[in-house]
Amino acid sequence: MSTQANQTTVPLLGPEILSIESKRENEFGSLTSKDYLHQVKVVEKPLAPPVIDTPPYYILLITYLNYLILIILGHIRDFLGTTFQKKKHAVFLEQDGLAPWYSKFESFYIRRLKMRIDDCFSRPTTGVPGRFIRCIDRISHNLNEYYTYPGTDSMCLNLSAYNYLGFAQSEGKCTDAALKAVDEYGVYSSGSRSQIGTTDLHRYTEQLIADFIGKEDSMIFSMGYGTNANFFNAFLDSKCLVISDELNHTSIRTGVRLSGAAVRAFKHGDMKGLEKLIRDQIVMGQPKTNRPWKKILICVEGLFSMEGTMCDLPRLVELKKKYKCYLYVDEAHSIGAIGPTGRGVCELFGVNPKDVDILMGTLTKSFGAAGGYIAADKWIIDRLRLDLSTPSYAEPSPAPVLAQITSSLEIIMGKLNPGEGTERLQRIAFNSRYLRLGLRRLGFIVYGTADSPVIPMLLYCPSKMPAFSRMMLQRKIAVVVVAYPATPLIESRVRFCMSASLTKEDIDYLLRHVNEVGEKLNLKLNTGKSSWDGKVQRWDIEDVIKKTPEDCKHDKYFVD
Amino acid sequence: MNTIIPEVLPSSIPIPEFVVTSFSYTLYFLHLVLNRVPGGHYVTSYLSKSTHDDPYRTAVEIGLILYGIYYYLSKPQQRKGLQSNRPNLTPAEIDNLIDEWEPEPITDAAETRDFWRLAKIPVVIGSGANNYINFTRDNDKERFENVFNLTSMNFLQLSKKDEVVQVAKQTIKNYGVGACGPAGFYGNQDVHNNLEYNLAKFFNTEGAVLYGQDFCVSPSVIPAFTKRGDVIIADNQVSLSLQNALQLSRSTVYYFEHNDMEHLDAMLTEINESEKRENLPAIPRKFIVTEGIFHNSGDIAPLPDLVRLKLKHKFRLFVDETLSLGVLGKTGRGLTEHFNMDRASSVDITVGSMAVALGSSGGFALGDKVMSNHQHIGSNAYCFSACLPAYTTTAVSKVLEIMDNDNSAVSKLQRLSKLLFDKFNKNEKIKNFFEIISDENSPILHLKLNDQFRSNVFGYTQELLYDTMVQLQKKSVTNKYFEPSEMEEKFLQDIVDDTLKTWNVLITRNIIIAKHETLPIVPSLKICCNSEMTEEELTKACDNIVESMVSLCSTQA
Repeated sequence: MSTQANQTTVPLLGPEILSIESKRENEFGSLTSKDYLHQVKVVEKPLAPPVIDTPPYYILLITYLNYLILIILGHIRDFLGTTFQKKKHAVFLEQDGLAPWYSKFESFYIRRLKMRIDDCFSRPTTGVPGRFIRCIDRISHNLNEYYTYPGTDSMCLNLSAYNYLGFAQSEGKCTDAALKAVDEYGVYSSGSRSQIGTTDLHRYTEQLIADFIGKEDSMIFSMGYGTNANFFNAFLDSKCLVISDELNHTSIRTGVRLSGAAVRAFKHGDMKGLEKLIRDQIVMGQPKTNRPWKKILICVEGLFSMEGTMCDLPRLVELKKKYKCYLYVDEAHSIGAIGPTGRGVCELFGVNPKDVDILMGTLTKSFGAAGGYIAADKWIIDRLRLDLSTPSYAEPSPAPVLAQITSSLEIIMGKLNPGEGTERLQRIAFNSRYLRLGLRRLGFIVYGTADSPVIPMLLYCPSKMPAFSRMMLQRKIAVVVVAYPATPLIESRVRFCMSASLTKEDIDYLLRHVNEVGEKLNLKLNTGKSSWDGKVQRWDIEDVIKKTPEDCKHDKYFVD
Repeated sequence: MNTIIPEVLPSSIPIPEFVVTSFSYTLYFLHLVLNRVPGGHYVTSYLSKSTHDDPYRTAVEIGLILYGIYYYLSKPQQRKGLQSNRPNLTPAEIDNLIDEWEPEPITDAAETRDFWRLAKIPVVIGSGANNYINFTRDNDKERFENVFNLTSMNFLQLSKKDEVVQVAKQTIKNYGVGACGPAGFYGNQDVHNNLEYNLAKFFNTEGAVLYGQDFCVSPSVIPAFTKRGDVIIADNQVSLSLQNALQLSRSTVYYFEHNDMEHLDAMLTEINESEKRENLPAIPRKFIVTEGIFHNSGDIAPLPDLVRLKLKHKFRLFVDETLSLGVLGKTGRGLTEHFNMDRASSVDITVGSMAVALGSSGGFALGDKVMSNHQHIGSNAYCFSACLPAYTTTAVSKVLEIMDNDNSAVSKLQRLSKLLFDKFNKNEKIKNFFEIISDENSPILHLKLNDQFRSNVFGYTQELLYDTMVQLQKKSVTNKYFEPSEMEEKFLQDIVDDTLKTWNVLITRNIIIAKHETLPIVPSLKICCNSEMTEEELTKACDNIVESMVSLCSTQA
């Protein structure tokens, strides 16, 4: 019989035996002091353009060299491998008349670059992805060719999950609601929404979401990616134009491609460029025929998940009204997590939601459930119910997920457990600001706006990604590292996803370790461009922990 | 130093003195500078040599360099030539044009010709998978109670079992609901991995990959393995999910006649011959794409022939088994088991749903290891989407375990399917009006009006529908609408309403959206059975439906 030590499949780990109090603490740390709360206010002054701090030139040089060496070595290995070790490299060679699944060139980046740091991705976990996450230990063999699992796990501080408001919990009001839904509705669905899949719970959830967002009606879907990917073909065609931020999510791109609409991209956050583009496009119309476009849709995200920046919504609404375009805002990351009462970017900027034609969001992130929604005026939603493909062809959202959505929404809105929602919102606001300012003061380059719970910290060299990720894992902190193609080639980064479930002390722990690792890896490259006094920041860790909790509540310390 | 004017210029052309001198000085200094630059003397010696040998060549080269500089400095928009006929407009004219532009409304008005459909969507109180349901329609204006439900696609009803419910509840107590992250970043939990192992083991493939929604699986899996120049040949009756996939694949797409193996053989031969003629540097990836049980007709793809042809012509086989997994075969292992074949060696990519017979949520793709691993990096709906809630995966694992031990639900479903099929197929009255297009093993029975009845009552044929749709598509009309077909759907809905109001039995139209379908589909009625029904119930309901159908059709005819 094989022992656990050489198991090559992910083992099923049972739940830990813990008292209910420790379990609760592990999923959602209780607040340690009322000082560690921050109430977000509506942003009144116009959004400053993001300040991009740039590292010294030698860092860029090293980064390029890094890639160069990797690529050259990769090609040499490919050449030698395909010449001498045909069997081992059979995956991208033709075999009995069949083309390989993927070609040598297409898969080069994945095989020769990503494969080397594959142990930093897809780490299997178990249990609730709350304040702590249980990562299942694995041992890598042959440069990540395969793993073995000794059957143990490590409890890590969780900065990786999109659990912004901390609703990933296995006990409490939401769990009770989900369990009740399993009893009443079951775990199954019966067919598409238009056929038999719509239940009273769907209608209730849709109305609740619409009320929360401030739109007349909404629709929900069982998958966030699928919401976007099958959305645009319901009302756009090849005679329509989509003006898209260059950093929009893949799901939007897929959806627009499926609709056949023409696409023009504008530079991320560049409102002047956008206005010029709109003017040009209205004047010139469709290519070749020069006929006017039927509709022009501006597509942006509320909070960009890799940059931590927000769209300039007041300006976008102004432009949209001036030029009679339509505005689509994807609030995948911002809904729930941003704004004085969690109602997303519209609320944060004091924009009336009615001025945005279509608001889309996901239910996976802040609400700890799954799926996506579209909110708009009633006549638009009524039309979309008939014209969208998802409700008529795809599975509906299952009942336990709906129960999780409604209960977490009711908590945020204060209908259930009054006070709890506000505390969660104030905690994530404080936590995000504290970590962002803390990292900047330590000397790191951090992108994004003050209130964004996505905190990307720049690493630049691709070789520092695995180093950072592995060192953090040793220190029991789970982080996400991202690189090309999700970011520009040289701007590899680590992305901290803040959560309301973390306490101030957890962030202190994180800051201390990031400080230590950052020094070892030479990551303190801040040039002062993004600090409020314009000076290079290299604070001592103890000073940061002492002063930042109070300072981070003031807007003056955040220039962008 | 004075440069002599090249002799090739006819001396008859008078050249002003200052031109000659300034030219000479420029050349002189250029000469000096070039000599100082390392490697510059190569340039000068080349220039002097080439001017000497062929002065026209130098002129052409200088022209080329000047054009290069011009090209580099010109604006990209002009360079492309895409908008080259852009008129020169004054700012005032531009403002006028912008003021004049009136866009269309963001969507069509809600209340148009097909708005009646919205009022016909049932809103179930409780779960729609039960056999007796209460529901409302048209914003609570119509109420129905204790209706016998023949529309649910939860065919096996295994996830209703107490053991599965307990597993799901226990998982919620241990994992919460959402996974809160994509698979690449800590979203993949041990239960997800284990479900993948279980699916692969149950269906006898090397790997399985989970997706968040069944409708998104094919449009994500196919584009992950195709690029421009690859070849796909698909059945011309495939569902919308596959049509989307083909559109996103970037490949050259051909269609073969629905389940017509001779036609497929001929087309494959032709494709391979034309490929040989082109003499490509590498063979493209080639796929045959079809479905297990067809969404729009309920018949079954002839797998043995497909496998024979795929091997003969060196294609790969992609089968969308959304409706057939858990339904066909002695133990519910799908199309391959139905034909007594081995999945790993016959089908290259299988796509399935966990929201249909397996009774949970999500979708999955099955296949060999290399292909499965590539999806982890190359398939958009996998990489850029959060993982399924943990409880859905443990529920499916449990259902698979039950199916492995006990095939009674599957065999009962097959018995009922045959009963359902016979009830309509052996009825002569029905045959006067309807044609049964589904297979006897399909738990979804599709009934469509026969050609004669359709042309008598609605005045069109399948061919006419096809031609009209092709015409509309050529004109790139997006709101494809064909009046007679809409009337037919309304008539079918009348049958649905009649059986509902007279007999308290719910059936459904095959719900399609004409504007999305690139392949012409004739409206049909759908009747679904599941393994929790009794034979008496089903027989009685079928008799009632037949009565409604016959009486309504007779009045029309």
